[in-house]
Amino acid sequence: MTIELNDVVQRLAGEAAGGEGVEAYAEQTTRTGINAFEGEVERLTSASSNGVGVRVVREGRLGYAYTADLSEDGLRRCLAEARANLEVSTEDPGNVLPDAAPFEPLDGLFDARQVDVSPERKVQLALDLEARTRAANPKVSKVETASYGDAVVQVAIASSKGVNGSLALTRAWCYSTALASEDGQSQVGFGIDSARSIEDLDIGPVAAEAAERAVRLLGATKPPTRTVPVVFDRMVAPNLIGVLLAGLSAEAVQKRRSLFADKLGERVGAAGLDLVDDGRLLDGPGATPFDDEGVPTRRNVLLAGGVLQRFLHNTASAAREGASSTGNAARGSFKSTPGISAHNVFFEPGDKDQAGLLAQAGEGLLVQDMSGVHSGANPITGDFSVGVTGLWFRNGELAEPVREATVAAQLLEILQGIVAVGSDLTWTTGSVGGSSLLIGQMTVAGA
Amino acid sequence: MLEDTIVRKILGAALSTGGEWAEVYAEDRLSHSIRLEDRRVEELITGQDRGAGVRVVRGTSSAYAYTNRLDSDSLLEAARVAAAALRDQPVAEVRDLRRRTSDLRHPVAIDPAEVQRTSLAELVRRADDAARSHDPSVAQVIASYSDGRQHVLIANSEGFLTEEDRVRTRFAVQVVAVRDGVVQTGFDGPGRSSGFELLDQFPPEEVARRAAIRAVAMLDSRPAPAGEMPVVIAAGNGGVLFHESSGHGMEADLVAKEASVYSGKQGQRIGVPEFNGVDDATVEGGWGSFQFDDEGTPAQRTVLFEDGVCTDYLTDLIRARQLSQRASGNGRRQSYANVPIPRMTNTYILAGEDDPDEIIRQTPKGLYAKSLGGGQVNPVTGEFVFGVVEGYLIEGGQVSTPVRGANLVGDGPSVIGSIDALGSDFDVKEGICGKEGQGVPVGNGAPTIRIARMTVGGTGGAA
Repeated sequence: MTIELNDVVQRLAGEAAGGEGVEAYAEQTTRTGINAFEGEVERLTSASSNGVGVRVVREGRLGYAYTADLSEDGLRRCLAEARANLEVSTEDPGNVLPDAAPFEPLDGLFDARQVDVSPERKVQLALDLEARTRAANPKVSKVETASYGDAVVQVAIASSKGVNGSLALTRAWCYSTALASEDGQSQVGFGIDSARSIEDLDIGPVAAEAAERAVRLLGATKPPTRTVPVVFDRMVAPNLIGVLLAGLSAEAVQKRRSLFADKLGERVGAAGLDLVDDGRLLDGPGATPFDDEGVPTRRNVLLAGGVLQRFLHNTASAAREGASSTGNAARGSFKSTPGISAHNVFFEPGDKDQAGLLAQAGEGLLVQDMSGVHSGANPITGDFSVGVTGLWFRNGELAEPVREATVAAQLLEILQGIVAVGSDLTWTTGSVGGSSLLIGQMTVAGA
Repeated sequence: MLEDTIVRKILGAALSTGGEWAEVYAEDRLSHSIRLEDRRVEELITGQDRGAGVRVVRGTSSAYAYTNRLDSDSLLEAARVAAAALRDQPVAEVRDLRRRTSDLRHPVAIDPAEVQRTSLAELVRRADDAARSHDPSVAQVIASYSDGRQHVLIANSEGFLTEEDRVRTRFAVQVVAVRDGVVQTGFDGPGRSSGFELLDQFPPEEVARRAAIRAVAMLDSRPAPAGEMPVVIAAGNGGVLFHESSGHGMEADLVAKEASVYSGKQGQRIGVPEFNGVDDATVEGGWGSFQFDDEGTPAQRTVLFEDGVCTDYLTDLIRARQLSQRASGNGRRQSYANVPIPRMTNTYILAGEDDPDEIIRQTPKGLYAKSLGGGQVNPVTGEFVFGVVEGYLIEGGQVSTPVRGANLVGDGPSVIGSIDALGSDFDVKEGICGKEGQGVPVGNGAPTIRIARMTVGGTGGAA
């Protein structure tokens, strides 16, 4: 199939007329998803789909079209649409295709063991995960979802500038959502694991964590409003980093939508805080040898000692300011033009685990779940106000559970206020790695 | 789109291993989108997507396989893959297919596919000009237009077959205003199940102006107070709150798993006698409307709350059978690449009899949430959180200082129970609702409402 995708993109790239640049990006995805519920397979999904997106540039203008119809006729129409769309776009120095650059292959993205896994084995894993979660604690009344999923993704890209790359990767993951009930109150807890193959998934800790996180919230009440140290759990920290990242894209800076604009070289975070995006880090799910327009990926240090070092670029944002791409072009799918995104971004871990951070802070709130991030956190204004669930801690020990509270602050204050990063860096399914984060002071609003 | 004889064959293959019923869902979607930012028409994208899925169901278990090749061999292969989840003798047969039609209409006056590309570019430029001329503090404008024509074929082994064309059009403007180092944003984004005539109803200048007014008003804001207080929510926005805080909990998949705070609440009084809520897919031209849902159940109006009492849940076919409830026509999916699950359509709190201005006058001290951002709910506990994107203090029965960074936190049943005023006005907000990774268009509507006490999260200290 890779060969076929390669054919498609090469053929389209070869259609470029004089003065015109043509790039084609094709992907083929095969997926499985299994949900277990009460000892039965509730849902099994099996799928394969593909499509191609065509970008045409000419005299600083851009046209884009995509199609899931890879027939001769479908491809011809798609190219014609992209060319026609170009006519109404405004000139922009960013509308250029990247030059071809050699990339180092990245071994380990594709785990051949995953290809031969039987459907029965996948079903069994989901069923086992559900049973283990239920058995993990007598207060677990139900497992809302126990799920296994995997994907085999193939990508091919080619352009009239000589870019030509293809890759294949595998992913497998499982997660469980436990429901615990006591005295008429219900709480949920979540556990997840991900890897390149089902062979490396470990359901025991996923089940145990989902159960523990649900059970320990039982009896949660609304806390009084106070200003205290706050520890963000490793599962919620990625949400916070994700909001910050929006402002670290050079495009956001150019369009004056970044709270980091004009802050290059300034200290924006706590001293000692290092934020890194590494597209070649195999532990991270976003590892890839080249980005979504074929530019080689690399390790980019964004914050060093709290000082803002650089923004993330794709070819367009780099061309606008005479810089070079950092290899961070990203597309949601073949349906969109390349934007900018991190591959595997994380705070360099510290040396204390979560218990160590709680001990360091003494008394405060451990945030276990965060909600309303997409509405309550504004990466343009820096306002950050979200709903939280978690546990109070005293003398470094977890105490009573808390619900219906909010924490609010300015994003830059939070970044300045990170007193310590935990040693518990974990990768799951997104592009952001999670570690426990200790923030010196935040307002926790409740009753 | 597919010949009836081929559909029959696919359904037959799907039922060959013991499935109780099977379904074919095929779609072809043509979409256009254009986006302006930084005064530039950044991109106009044309997209052609298509594919089909075959589902085999036994009890509450289902197997689904999809492909984006629409030839009969690929579809038969999908049917075999889905059927492979079961290993039994056939228990059901494919009944004769009968084509159904609907009397519901969501009229399209101007087919978006016929609109010239230059007209689309002109739309977003007009919005840009209008927003920038509203106030010198307007620093950035993002204007976008999108349309889609989705042609679907839905057929099942019980003899049902229908084809439907769904056309949706949306225009949205986001404005960034900057003054003295303070940055604020404002948004407006009407959408309808209609054609390009949407822009006659909502001219780009007006959409842009509404977004600009919101952004500029918030420049003078101070941090919102934190704590419990009465909250008045402007017309339309209460629908967003209702959708999140209660609608999700009334989706039957969560109810059936007893993973909803509304499980077992049917027949119980939750709200005041004046409180009535519905989910209505039949609203003509509504953003969340259709003729048939994505399982072929006719669109209908489902009463969620009547006189404050919790009445019906929102079901898809599997959950309706499981709970022995009516199929309410709420089985929806994002595309052929997803299984249908219970989803809302147009979810409304019905208007009451209170004068909206009087509701504010009767509130000595509190928060006026004029515009809510998105929200999120934990259906198990009913707890939700909402961002207030345009908010004001209410002092002495008057709307006063604008406040920013406010969040509303509570749980669905308590908030419904705390609504003590329902206005005689009504408005609708459009959005894309996400659940299990699937986004579907939804409309949310409500009159002006007051919640007697609610937790407000903000950075401005205790209220």
